[in-house]
Formats: sequence, structure tokens, C-alpha cells
Amino acid sequence: MSEVGQNWDNISKDTTYSVPADVPMSSSNTKFSAVTGSARKIKDNAADWHNLMLKWDKLNNDGFQCATNIVNMRNSQRDQQPLDDFPPAPACQTFPSAVQQQAAGAAELQDECSRLQAVVDRMVVIVAKMEHLMSVQRGIQDLEEFQFGPEGRTLPLCHSWKTQEFEESSRVLLAAFSQELKLKQVILQELAHTAVADLHMVYLSCWLHQPFIPAQTRLALEALLLETGHRSL
Amino acid sequence: MSLQGAVRRSFVALRDQRAAWRSVLEECDPLMESLGNLGEQMNALSRVRVSDTPLRAFPDLQERLQFQLLQAVDLLLQRLRDRMSCLQSIRDSVGGHVSAALQLYQDSADGLDVAVATQRSSVAPSLADMLEWLQDAERFYRRFLQRKTLLLTLRRDDRAQLEGAAKAWRSLDSPDAEQQITDNLCRLAFFLESQ
Repeated sequence: MSEVGQNWDNISKDTTYSVPADVPMSSSNTKFSAVTGSARKIKDNAADWHNLMLKWDKLNNDGFQCATNIVNMRNSQRDQQPLDDFPPAPACQTFPSAVQQQAAGAAELQDECSRLQAVVDRMVVIVAKMEHLMSVQRGIQDLEEFQFGPEGRTLPLCHSWKTQEFEESSRVLLAAFSQELKLKQVILQELAHTAVADLHMVYLSCWLHQPFIPAQTRLALEALLLETGHRSL
Repeated sequence: MSLQGAVRRSFVALRDQRAAWRSVLEECDPLMESLGNLGEQMNALSRVRVSDTPLRAFPDLQERLQFQLLQAVDLLLQRLRDRMSCLQSIRDSVGGHVSAALQLYQDSADGLDVAVATQRSSVAPSLADMLEWLQDAERFYRRFLQRKTLLLTLRRDDRAQLEGAAKAWRSLDSPDAEQQITDNLCRLAFFLESQ
């Protein structure tokens, strides 16, 4: 049976968020050199969002490798002789080695599942940091309402967005990643216990293509980076 | 401009562009494999009843995943079409030389002695042979491109077609015809070096 997961990465490199590593995250807008506390915080937040998403994408690729291995191991387990078929007498000499083989296979599978667990654990940390960014943004919003009333400040902190728009952006991003994380946790739980080939493939598709983080989410980050001067207009 | 010169220029263009042609074509192979994989993924998704699986916790999952897969297909098709454009330019540039040579031949055909045209030497095949090879090569590349480009008009949501795309792509290769062109270029080695 051919291995699953070959050539899937030829497209994933395009569908994942790709910012060249050498793009400097610097401000081209001198407005930020003598900056109020809030504007500085918002700008730092945007940089943090960007970095978290890069880390997430790397983890996603690592996790995909683990998930593919798990599926392939499950497939080869299924192809092996089941233990409770007692072989005819002459073949009994091979019986112990089949047991050993199965045990080794099970250990390998367990290792791979642990690796995938580790990936998901790190993703949990990333989403927690995203929640923190969200609450910082919420704090900035609250401060502004306190200082300027419910209408907020008259002059925008950055290029043109009202402060509330930063909060909304953060909310959209956080919701997407939280939901995606939930999906990954389900996949983690179920992947090694499924025997159905089609379902395996659907789990792998879900992991790789991240249905809750569509292109619009990436664009939301781009807009945030533009607004905060990390990208030049 | 002599007919011989025009023929030589055409073959030089053909020879020089072959490496570029091959490398662009080779880039298509993994893309086609990925296309096939996406077709498989879409098929698997259509066969699974998500509500019967642990994924039922995500009611809009099926549409969202389908959307992502279609987007990935679109991206791949775009990249493949870009490669086809490259190949088309290569083919057009060679084709331009070939047309010029054949036009020249047409214009001088009346005054051309058959004996001269069919005369071979130790360093050059006959003019008649060379013109025939040129036409064959040009025709081969033109049809090859037509078929490959046609394959790319497959519908992105036709899962069966996508899954079989890589195989269909490879079936359009004609290694024998390619080899023939290589052989002819070998025979022309001295001719192409001469002035």
C-alpha cells in the first residue's frame, strides 16, 4: 500500500502563510518613534501576532509529518496477520516473531502519538498567548473609553483604524485559531484509533488544510501589519 | 539569407531550448502528483459522512474543508498554467525560426534543384531531410503542448478527473518522438557547428 502524505507538501508551502524570513519587521513610519503607550502596545501586539502565526505554521508542518506517520503505521498494522488467527502447526515457529513485530510496531506508534501530542501542547500555548494579546487589546480599548468616552479618541493611533478595529481583528484571529486548535485536538485523539482509510485521509486533510484558518484570516493579519506600519503601504 | 542558414538557425534554436523545455516540464510532475492527491482527498471527503464521525462536533467542517481543497486546486492549476505559458514561449520562439525557414524554402522552391536538395554529405544531411525533420519537430511540440494544455482545462470540482490527472498527464508523453528529435540533432552535430 502506497504511503499517504507524499507530495501533499508541494501545495502546503503555498497555502500556509509565507513571509520570507528575511523581511525586516521594522517601521517605515516615523510617527511611531515618539509614540504614546497605546500605539506602541498595539504595534508590538501586531508583531507578536505575526510571530505566533509563523510558529503555528511550523508546528502545523511538524504535526502533519507525525500524523502521516501514524496513518501509515496504522495501515501497515492492519496489513499484518492478526494475533488471534492461530497459524497451522508448521508455521508456529514464526508465531513469536509476529508478536515481537506487533509489539515493536505498537511502541513506534505510541512514540509518534506522543510527538503529535507534544505539537498540540505547543499549539495550546500559542493560543493562550493569543488570548493574552486579545486581553491586552481589550485593555487598551477600555483605557481609551475611560479617557475619551465611548466614542474613543478622535485621531487614529496608527494610520486610519479606530482603536476598536484592532480589537475586532484580534477577535477574528483568536476565534479562528481557537477553533482550529479544537479540531486538531479531536484529530489527535482519534487518529490512531481509526481504521477507515477515507476517514484517515479526511483527518490528514483537516490537519494540513486548516479549514478554520482560511485565506481571509491571513489577510486580516496583513491588514493589521499594514495599519501598524510593519509593512509599508 | 540562405535556406541552409535559416535551417541551421532553426535547429540551433531547437537544440539550445531543449534543456529549458525539459526543466520546465519536469517542474510539472510534482504539481500533477499533488493535483491527483487533492482529487483523492476530495473523494475521501465525499465518501465520509462527517455526522457519523467524531468530527460531528464541527457542523460546517465539510464545506470549509471542501473550500480549502478547491482553493488548493486553483493554486496548482494556476502554477501549471504558468509553466505551460513558459513552454508556449519556448515553442513559439523555435516555431518562429522554423516558419521562417519553411517560408524561405517555399519562396525558393521553384529555383531549387531536386538533386541539390536531396544531396547528402559526410558532414550534413540533405536539405530535404532537414526540412522534414524541422517540420516533424515543430509539429510534435505543437501537438504535445495542445494536449497538455487541454488537460489543464479540467474542472476543479471533477474529482474523478483530478485523481486521474497525473496518470493522464504522463500518458501524453511520447518518449519515442523525443528520442527521434535527439537522434536527428546528433546527426546534425557537424552541420550545426559549421558556418
